[in-house]
Amino acid sequence: MKAITKEVLKDAASRLMFDMSDEQYDTLEKEFEIIIKQMKLIGEIPDVDNVEPMTFPFDVTTDFLREDEVTEPLTKSDALKNAKDVLDGQIKLPKVVG
Amino acid sequence: MNYLDLTIKEMHEALVKKEITPLELAKEAIKRAKADTNNAFETILEDKAIEIASELTEPEENNLFWGIPFGIKDNFSTKNILTTGSSEILKDYIPVFNATVVEKLLNAHAVPIAKTCLDELAMGGTGTTGHKGITYNPYDPKHERLVGGSSCGSAAMVSAGIAPFALGSDTGDSVRKPASFAGLVGFKPTWGRISRFGLFPFAPSLDHVAYFTRSVEDAAFALSLLAGRDLHDATSSNKKVDDYISNINDTIKGKRIAILKEVIDSIRDEKVLTIFNNTVEKLKENGAIVENVSFDLKLLEACYPTYMVISCAEATSNNANLDGIKFGPRYGGDTYQEVMCNARTKGFCELIRRRFIIGSFSLMRENQEDLFLRAQKARRLIVNRTNEILNNYDFIYIPAAPNIAPKFTDSSDKLSTNYLIADNILVLGNFAGLPSITLPIGLIENMPIGGNLMGRKFEEKELFKIAKNIEDGTGLYNLSSRKLVK
Amino acid sequence: MNFEAVIGIEIHVEMKTKSKMFSSAPVEFGAEPNTLVNPVDMAFPGTMPVVNKQAVINAIRVANALHMKIDQELWFDRKNYFYADLPKGFQITQDKRPIGRDGYVMIKTNNGEKKIEIERLHMEEDTCKQLHLSTYSLLDYNRAGTPLIEIVSRPNIRNGEEAMKYVEQIKSIVQFSDVSDGKMEEGSLRCDVNISLRPIGSDKFGTKVEIKNLNSLSNVEKAIEFEITRQQQLLLSGVPVEQETRRFDETRKETVLMRKKTDAVDYKYFTEPNITPIKLSDEFVKNAIETCPELAASKKDRYMTILGLNEYDSDILIQDKDVSDYFDKAVKFNASPKLLANWIMVDIAAYLNKNNLKIKDLQLSPEHLSDLIKLIEEGKISSKQAKDVFAVIVENDASPIDVANELGLVQMSDEGAIFELILEVLKENPQSIEDYKNGKDRALGFLVGQVMKKSRGKANPAMTSKMILDELKKK
Repeated sequence: MKAITKEVLKDAASRLMFDMSDEQYDTLEKEFEIIIKQMKLIGEIPDVDNVEPMTFPFDVTTDFLREDEVTEPLTKSDALKNAKDVLDGQIKLPKVVG
Repeated sequence: MNYLDLTIKEMHEALVKKEITPLELAKEAIKRAKADTNNAFETILEDKAIEIASELTEPEENNLFWGIPFGIKDNFSTKNILTTGSSEILKDYIPVFNATVVEKLLNAHAVPIAKTCLDELAMGGTGTTGHKGITYNPYDPKHERLVGGSSCGSAAMVSAGIAPFALGSDTGDSVRKPASFAGLVGFKPTWGRISRFGLFPFAPSLDHVAYFTRSVEDAAFALSLLAGRDLHDATSSNKKVDDYISNINDTIKGKRIAILKEVIDSIRDEKVLTIFNNTVEKLKENGAIVENVSFDLKLLEACYPTYMVISCAEATSNNANLDGIKFGPRYGGDTYQEVMCNARTKGFCELIRRRFIIGSFSLMRENQEDLFLRAQKARRLIVNRTNEILNNYDFIYIPAAPNIAPKFTDSSDKLSTNYLIADNILVLGNFAGLPSITLPIGLIENMPIGGNLMGRKFEEKELFKIAKNIEDGTGLYNLSSRKLVK
Repeated sequence: MNFEAVIGIEIHVEMKTKSKMFSSAPVEFGAEPNTLVNPVDMAFPGTMPVVNKQAVINAIRVANALHMKIDQELWFDRKNYFYADLPKGFQITQDKRPIGRDGYVMIKTNNGEKKIEIERLHMEEDTCKQLHLSTYSLLDYNRAGTPLIEIVSRPNIRNGEEAMKYVEQIKSIVQFSDVSDGKMEEGSLRCDVNISLRPIGSDKFGTKVEIKNLNSLSNVEKAIEFEITRQQQLLLSGVPVEQETRRFDETRKETVLMRKKTDAVDYKYFTEPNITPIKLSDEFVKNAIETCPELAASKKDRYMTILGLNEYDSDILIQDKDVSDYFDKAVKFNASPKLLANWIMVDIAAYLNKNNLKIKDLQLSPEHLSDLIKLIEEGKISSKQAKDVFAVIVENDASPIDVANELGLVQMSDEGAIFELILEVLKENPQSIEDYKNGKDRALGFLVGQVMKKSRGKANPAMTSKMILDELKKK
């Protein structure tokens, strides 16, 4: 596992597209200490590595697939009414490069 | 007596007899909502409520929700009505569609009174982290005690007698814990029983639509309305919806109930235990077989970290759509990254940002095995053990919280090693997707305390039956702070 | 030192379903921006994905055509990253359990047949479209959520020609199965190439360069050939190849640097919790395969064994799905397959080429083309005359027989009428009869010519000749 340092956490934050104050990174470092310790303890539970990871609360499968039929789309104004910067019926952003 | 203080069932009878009209109820509810001192509301829907209630003139005898005032946690999408998730990042978001449950309530001609506060994006348990600040417990006029979260506003609303029903959501215990602190019935069904379409996701594998009522029977009525398959939610079950009402008063003789030993052992408040034990004695008197069962201490201790890792990981992904581009405030920026960064830094409180980093870190390639996947494996062990117990017993019964609503000074949203098993046990119901109900079982210094039941999946009908039996035994029916607090 | 290229190709195919991968908004090209979206496509909070049945059927069909193992339990995963064109902040894809695994396709190159192995085929969704302008970009969400199939080959392609043939095969399969338009130039089939060089005999991989934006088959070949040479020159001069993304510059005919690759992006994949696993029954899979429109290889086989076309003609017809569909429709009207194939490959092709049209734009219906050919076969008009009829009906799809009549081209095949003309001609030309009897064969030609003249060219020459002969023998 990746070692926790303030730099690692800052990098993780920037990849999540936000920043935090220095005190918050300190708090977070302490929280990570706790959580990683606790997860290590979990790793010591017998059988924990003998079971499959569980995504859904119970084993549930379906045979349902949506028919390929179209429903009325949103009006352009509804689609865009919450966007703050709109030009020519499209959402405007600073030029995207790369 | 005011008609608004009745349960849904009683209110319905008065409406059918035309002793009261939906408009009168709505006006009273709006009046009370405006007088709220607990910071329960994001938005009071005065015009909408009056408009809807005004049109309701012919009572529908077979429709329990006709004309009934209700609240909506502000993480349910409501068409053309501001929906904030109590987060700055959505402070001006006006959805273009209704959540399926909202649509069902509106189609039943229930009357929406308000959008209620929550912990920001439902990611908290204290009712203190929403962008409008702390929500208070209506039972404590000194405003020293929390009502619990994340569905704090809905709990405060129903508890304060502003409506007999409010929608909430429950990912760890976000309805069932506040229900204990606020003297309410708090219910979540089996995962997939009620459509989640339109509920802002926190952690979809744990999220449930849930709600508050002031009686067990009302909770059963509400499930009859809200349950069912929804083509917009691929995880919603197409199992037939049961009749939850007809047999609700049946005997519980011979029903087997497991009490989790480690949970009881971790509770220090003797008064809580006394109250709980009294209900156990009543259950035995009524013919139930109640036994102490040891769960497995290690697994119970694993619940909280397992929950943190799974819920934070799912949450960081679910909330990646909140980037200030399609909706939400924009604070400028020279690049698209800056636009996103500004929106997300200003938009999320610090607690949320810390949680996102925990979640994201757990999912990183080199950490996944040790964190996220390990948590998912622990989840399976915990669920297996829970179901093992439910193979031998019909229900698991425990105190819904180790204490009455704590004071704000005693609570924190920071992670700590110092937590009680009994404080984090309701999450079993989310891990395993089981139906679970909290109901008031006593009062300590005029503050309520609840008990919690979990049953087998899709056996809500049985759960309501046993809960009704406990409710009849305690006589704690239709509680509200309005009656108790001067 | 001699190097060999190690090439792997990732192909993204936009499906032409009616609705999107996870929402019921319409899939269309060229609509007004932001008019084909619903709340799911805009990632409005609380929306949830619901899988499109036809997209699954399409994926099964392509996986089957590529001889893949089909996973009958569908699982989806989230690929998490932030980008301007990604509405949800993640893309729903199939990471751990792709619907198709371990397949192959046979290609034909100048060095013979080769089996290209395919690692995986999975379903996912497209992003929104960005329009880049001088100082800003505009986002159109119409494309967001369009169903995609991604096909990932194993790196056992060795040169530009193999790569080109491989992409051509995939293109043919997705087009013939009606899964996609498969148009590289319009982006409905997009292809990214990974290429590295290593000394021949080595089993290690060299540093990988990715080439993007290859918008035609020939560019795939050219870009790879250029890139092999470029990397080879670097290596021979001792300069290491850098890990980077390049694109093909069409005018300069070379690959140019887009960006250096920094550390690999961590997509933090995990199972999509809003889609419970979907079980596909044996019957569902079988039905998807059996109802798949006929693929090129099968058509070719049918053309050769049942319709009796030669391999050359068959290959030409199956180069384009629309052409082969046109041919298949025409054949149903019972004209000679060989003649039909010729007309489509020669006359129709020339017409389309001249007018810069596609066969889909053609006015002439397969039925009328077939009718025209039957007129030739029945001897009602000559091949030469048919060209004149064709020139008319290709523009307006009129009935060939009507046009032939209007142009006065229909041959007189009525024996009685021809016989009368013959009697007239014989009467008028006793000298020719004498000449014929004296062994001058040319006289017969002259007499036939006279009959043709009298009939204004309509008399069936073969019939006329035979009947005159019969008459002369009686004399």
